Amino acid sequence: MGSLFRSEPVCLAQLFLQAGTAYECLSALGERGLVQFRDLNQNVSCFQRKFVGEVKRCEELERILVYLVQEITRADIPLPEGEASPPAPPLKQVLEMQEQLQKLEVELREVTKNKEKLRKNLLELIEYTHMLRVTRTFVRRNVEFEPTYEEFPSLESESLLDYTCMQRLGAKLGFVSGLIQRGKVEAFEKMLWRVCKGYTILSYAELHESLEDPETGEVIKWYVFLISFWGEQIGQKVKKICDCYRCHVYPYPNTAEECKEIQEGLNVRIQDLYTVLYKTEDYLRQVLCKAAESVYSHAIQVRKMKAIYHTLNMCSFDVTNKCLIAEVWCPEADLQELCRALEEGSRESSATVPSFMNTIPTKETPPTLIRTNKFTEGFQNIVDAYGVGSYREVNPALFTIITFPFLFAVMFGDFGHGFVMFLFALLLVLNEDHPRLTQCQEIMRMFFNGRYILLLMGLFSVYTGLIYNDCFSKSVNLFGSGWNVSAMYRASHAAEERGKMALWNDSIVRHSRVLQLDPSVPGVFRGPYPFGIDPIWNLATNRLTFLNSFKMKMSVILGIIHMTFGVILGIFNHLHFRKKFNIYLVSVPELLFMLCIFGYLIFMIVYKWLAYSATTSREAPSILIDFINMFLFPASEASGLYPGQAYIQRVLLAVTALSVPVLFLGKPLFLLWLHHGCGCFGANRNGYTLVRKDSEEEVSLLGNQDIEEGSTQVEDGCREVTCEEFDFGEILMTQAIHSIEYCLSCISNTASYLRLWALSLAHAQLSDVLWAMLMRVGLRVDTTFGVLLLFLLIAAFVVLTILILLVMEGLSAFLHAIRLHWVEFQNKFYIGAGTKFVPFSFNLLSSKFTNDDMA
Amino acid sequence: MLESAELHFNVDHGYLEGLVRGLKASLLTQQDYVNLVQCETLEDLKIHLQTTDYGNFLANETNPLTVSKIDTEMRKKLCKEFDYFRNHSLEPLSTFLTYMTCSYMIDNVILLMNGALQKKSVKEILAKCHPLGSFTEMEAVNIAETISDLFNAVLVETPLAPFFQDCMSENTLDELNVELLRNKLYKSYLESFYKFCKNHGDVTAEVMCPILEFEADRRAFIITLNSFGTELSKEDRETLYPTCGRLYPEGLRLLTQAEDFDQMKTVADHYGVYKPVFETVGGHGGKTLEDVFYEHEVQMNVLAFNRQFHYGVFYAYVKLKEQEMRNIVWIAECISQRHRTKINSYIPIL
Repeated sequence: MGSLFRSEPVCLAQLFLQAGTAYECLSALGERGLVQFRDLNQNVSCFQRKFVGEVKRCEELERILVYLVQEITRADIPLPEGEASPPAPPLKQVLEMQEQLQKLEVELREVTKNKEKLRKNLLELIEYTHMLRVTRTFVRRNVEFEPTYEEFPSLESESLLDYTCMQRLGAKLGFVSGLIQRGKVEAFEKMLWRVCKGYTILSYAELHESLEDPETGEVIKWYVFLISFWGEQIGQKVKKICDCYRCHVYPYPNTAEECKEIQEGLNVRIQDLYTVLYKTEDYLRQVLCKAAESVYSHAIQVRKMKAIYHTLNMCSFDVTNKCLIAEVWCPEADLQELCRALEEGSRESSATVPSFMNTIPTKETPPTLIRTNKFTEGFQNIVDAYGVGSYREVNPALFTIITFPFLFAVMFGDFGHGFVMFLFALLLVLNEDHPRLTQCQEIMRMFFNGRYILLLMGLFSVYTGLIYNDCFSKSVNLFGSGWNVSAMYRASHAAEERGKMALWNDSIVRHSRVLQLDPSVPGVFRGPYPFGIDPIWNLATNRLTFLNSFKMKMSVILGIIHMTFGVILGIFNHLHFRKKFNIYLVSVPELLFMLCIFGYLIFMIVYKWLAYSATTSREAPSILIDFINMFLFPASEASGLYPGQAYIQRVLLAVTALSVPVLFLGKPLFLLWLHHGCGCFGANRNGYTLVRKDSEEEVSLLGNQDIEEGSTQVEDGCREVTCEEFDFGEILMTQAIHSIEYCLSCISNTASYLRLWALSLAHAQLSDVLWAMLMRVGLRVDTTFGVLLLFLLIAAFVVLTILILLVMEGLSAFLHAIRLHWVEFQNKFYIGAGTKFVPFSFNLLSSKFTNDDMA
Repeated sequence: MLESAELHFNVDHGYLEGLVRGLKASLLTQQDYVNLVQCETLEDLKIHLQTTDYGNFLANETNPLTVSKIDTEMRKKLCKEFDYFRNHSLEPLSTFLTYMTCSYMIDNVILLMNGALQKKSVKEILAKCHPLGSFTEMEAVNIAETISDLFNAVLVETPLAPFFQDCMSENTLDELNVELLRNKLYKSYLESFYKFCKNHGDVTAEVMCPILEFEADRRAFIITLNSFGTELSKEDRETLYPTCGRLYPEGLRLLTQAEDFDQMKTVADHYGVYKPVFETVGGHGGKTLEDVFYEHEVQMNVLAFNRQFHYGVFYAYVKLKEQEMRNIVWIAECISQRHRTKINSYIPIL
């Protein structure tokens, strides 16, 4: 129980790390994850700290690693993830590693640059060939449809040579041809028209293949264009416009032979480039494969190194600059381990002077450390979500382990649903080492982290389901009902008994729709069902009334027990923090207030259950009326539950009334008295024994003097010490608020526990409705269709049961159970104002390396 | 009208407004500036900027770090944010955002034309252009030889086209004409933007109009100041003043007559807004008129965030971010040139 009941004692320790060994010591500490470092340089901005240079170097290495990972993933080479995490690299290796990585980066950059250049070249050549192919058709078409040229009959009849003829005509005829992106064609054409005022002929055609843009690497559609123009000046303009629209302009061959030549030359060059590119890529792959082997361990090593330097930045230097001083929070139980880690670190760096530590006393509140295992972790998380416990405070998580699933189950009580939930959780628990589960995403992860909570919730739901005798809204007759219907028949009873009781005969059975069983008839009720609710209630029309009464009372009883338990846990806190007066002045009045009103209510409920039987049930008084009468003192003395009830109730009420002023004023007045009195008694007595060594007489004299004189110089002296801390008004205020809140919340919280009843009712009714709407319909249809129909209906039933009853209802019951713990239970004793103990541990660094968390 | 506009505002622009407010919260604080000023090298500056919202925007820059690299990266970041706004905006916010880019486009066009006059290569100048004002036709600007050429051939389809109405002329483009063109374009741009905001009404008009009025007046003052001692005639000067400011019409007429700084100051003294502005000029710390105007602008832009349901926040955010970038560049320059005495004369964003 020890570690979960309270957070562990944590002490402040000072580590003296020799400058040469600090790195190794921290590496050893980080592997163990023992201590939390305190930042001693809070007012130094981050770039003025001691180890900024080293951190920068780590960042540089990380940058290279990111680049490597980027290249490796781009080349589709699998990244091996090592299982073991390598320790932080020793300082000697760091330089080596850095050199190695830098060399690799330079090499890689060069190779990729070459590759890119080759690629670009290749793409350009490909574009060129496409362009040549397409523009050839333009020229031919131009010639065919251009009437001007027909006026000059061509000497050669060969169509290929038409073009040379054209050139001869206009001596300054110029061509610009190239490729342009599809989206820009229209604007390009317009601009060309406006600038050159129509002195150009633009023809273009879409390229059927999509080509990669050499600059951006995007695969897009291109247009091939050919501009013919006259005159040098317009040519300049055209070229500028082409630049502006990022056209890829290629020289246009003047003659057909030239064109053919170029084409052939291009084909050869493209072939060459392909082989070179292939070889380059092969080499690149080799380099990357080699890099991929070590990149994982390097990434982890660099991350560890960076963590170490970050932590070293939190330490301060001593005057001689020879050793670093770090202040750490360390759990007392781990001090030995801490020493050993320091020794190991010193040994590794073979330092002459060992690093050492000593604990220092402190007034600051240490962080809260509660060690958990995989079972308790989920429950601790529920508590931590409300607030991390104050240091050494009673930790409600311990009790939550049982109470949380139990309260959930009270609301979720159904044997069948609980069992399904239990099986699901069991599946998760049994396969918890499965890699797919440990890496799953959000929603599944939520279920996975809460698998033990789910397991217990399922188990407890099976239990409460058995108590409620609900299995998918149907009761199960396990032990045989305790009610006997045949005993109600007139024939089975002796003649003298028949007169008194409302027995059945054949005509009643035949004609009335509803028959009533009377437990007071001998033989009808043969004693209670051994476990849970009698299944015969499933047939009764007043089943709901019966269950409501039962569940309502049960919720009140559970709630009051839960809250009283919370108040009692408060006593443990007061005991531990040496505030005994709080027990008498706060906890005891609180307990009295609670028990005298609501404890008594429980008593009445239980008493009524025990004291009245079927025969006497008609005289039983209503608890509600009796409870109200407790406060109203009615004139007419109604028949109570038991003799002397009025007197006992008055005593209880008096106790309640008395506990309220104690609660309001007790603590503030006591503190005031302590404060005033400490000048007279407490402090002087302590002073005598610890510091002053005065004679006892003198002290008592002093004390008497103070009592007589009231406030004199001694009190003044005392005030100097504590007057900032003691503010009577504030204490009174806090206590008043606390008391009012407590008294009111006793009532509202008790009512709040009725949600146990409400949700369990809702759950039962919902599953009942589901059964009635689906299964009952299916079961009533005759056999031939029924089989097919049932098949479908059962599928629907299963889906709806899982979605609505298990997931949705389960979620709502879960939330209400959380609320009951956070609000109703924990506000009785839990402060939750602590900070979590976060050790310096390499395990907390994420071991995955994606681009996001490294970049 | 007012209420319904506020009701519907969030349907169309709520997301972007929330976004821009979030981004505004990430502007550097006073404490950040104090830390930045303490930096010894640009590397320190980089480390410190990493702890702010800039994140590791310089992480992939190879050494050595220079001021211009920082500047381009910051601009890229702002441009990325602005493009995001633009891509997610609906009318009329998208028109508003287009208006915002126009001023950068004017600057870019003028820059390119000046470059062409000095026979510099287009690539070199393109690198200097502000990315917020870049457009495809931009590179073809140096084809044009006259202003009407420029308009007809190059800019007729850009958002800048409407601003050319007043300044069409067949003059050849020399440096003076280019400068005149810039001011005329700016004048019609400001007037048109002002009209747009005014017509839009609602809170946008209430917030944006004073800002644009100030912008117009600032231009008027700066034009006057720069024209002292040049061959610009007084009549020409008057044609350059934007007429949507508070100075219009009385103050502008007086400004036309002004012949030195003191006369300008007397003009400003007639206006309650500009009197304190001019009084701080040259006071302690030797602030220039420009600095003082910047300070006033920052103040107005910060105030724009106090109102909700208007487009002014986008304008204000971009302007504030620009100011912040100017500050960082200033500090970085001071650090890299080891000229630390003036490092503190950045303009803090309140």
